[in-house]
Amino acid sequence: MTDARAVLASSCNPLTSHLFSGCRYPAPSIDDFYFKPILTVGGIGITKPMVLAVVAGATVLAFFAVAFRRPKLVPRGAQNLAEVGVLFVRDSILRPQLGKAGDKYLPFLVSIFFFVWLMNLFGIIPLLEFPATSRIAYPAGLALVVWITYLTVGIRAKGPITYFRNIAVPSGAPWWILPLLSPIELVSNIFVRPFTLTIRLMANMLAGHLLLLVFGLASWYLFSASIGLLFSVTSFLVTIILTGLEVLIQLLQAFIFTTLTAYYLADASAAH
Amino acid sequence: MAPDQAGRPPGRGGQRPASEGWTYFSYLVGGMLLYGGIGWLIGRWTGLPVLFPVGMLTGLALAIAMIIFRVTRS
Repeated sequence: MTDARAVLASSCNPLTSHLFSGCRYPAPSIDDFYFKPILTVGGIGITKPMVLAVVAGATVLAFFAVAFRRPKLVPRGAQNLAEVGVLFVRDSILRPQLGKAGDKYLPFLVSIFFFVWLMNLFGIIPLLEFPATSRIAYPAGLALVVWITYLTVGIRAKGPITYFRNIAVPSGAPWWILPLLSPIELVSNIFVRPFTLTIRLMANMLAGHLLLLVFGLASWYLFSASIGLLFSVTSFLVTIILTGLEVLIQLLQAFIFTTLTAYYLADASAAH
Repeated sequence: MAPDQAGRPPGRGGQRPASEGWTYFSYLVGGMLLYGGIGWLIGRWTGLPVLFPVGMLTGLALAIAMIIFRVTRS
């Protein structure tokens, strides 16, 4: 009996496993986030997330290039859509944080917002079905860009010494406690900010993708000519509902990432 | 709101932005990270591992104090 089980288990794979076939549920794991290289160029393996990130960047670039190629006073088609996007970033993200003076950062914020959003969105687009942002290198790279930008903006706006005093002295604290509090302010401004920016985006996309995998795999695994069919249908419905939730979360995470970028820029350039 | 908010950009009004919350969060993380780390190092040095949680709690307390200062005096 145990031998038969072992033989059966060795022939199990996620595509053929079903309920009561002797195969266990092929639970998704962190291994599902590691891809074999599609091809190797000069010793560097090109994987699916890399391709997706490049596609996301190229798509955003191409879309806005085409939309604003011949801008018209009365926008139509792609230009209309692009203007809605740009105005959304300006009025909901940039203006509340930076005010009108911050309009020079609009291209930066628009790029970040749509790049992150599209990479997130790839998690639910059929056939692509992987959010590139769930691999930590992509949010980390973006956070690094944001980090360098706000430090540069701060130093250029106030000079190194004033800026350093700004990020080291917490507002409202009495002078005698500063030796204890300044290190916290410094650590939170310099190290925690880019770190949380990265982790928040990555963890949300990873958890969302894992959740979809759990129910997606379950609806396939439970699909058999038995009571499992009922569970399978339920699981499939849950997958659809969760996909809807993911659409919201993907947009929300791109929004939060960009809002915090705008806030860090505002914090770096505002006069204290 | 206190008058020293005048330096902030217009359009923000008297409202604290939502991202203010993330600042508090980063104070809490930063405080625990920094003083927990210091506590851990001193704990290793002196052979008293209890200094690690003590350091974390100290950092947490200081971070909460910072948040209170920030909210009440600015």
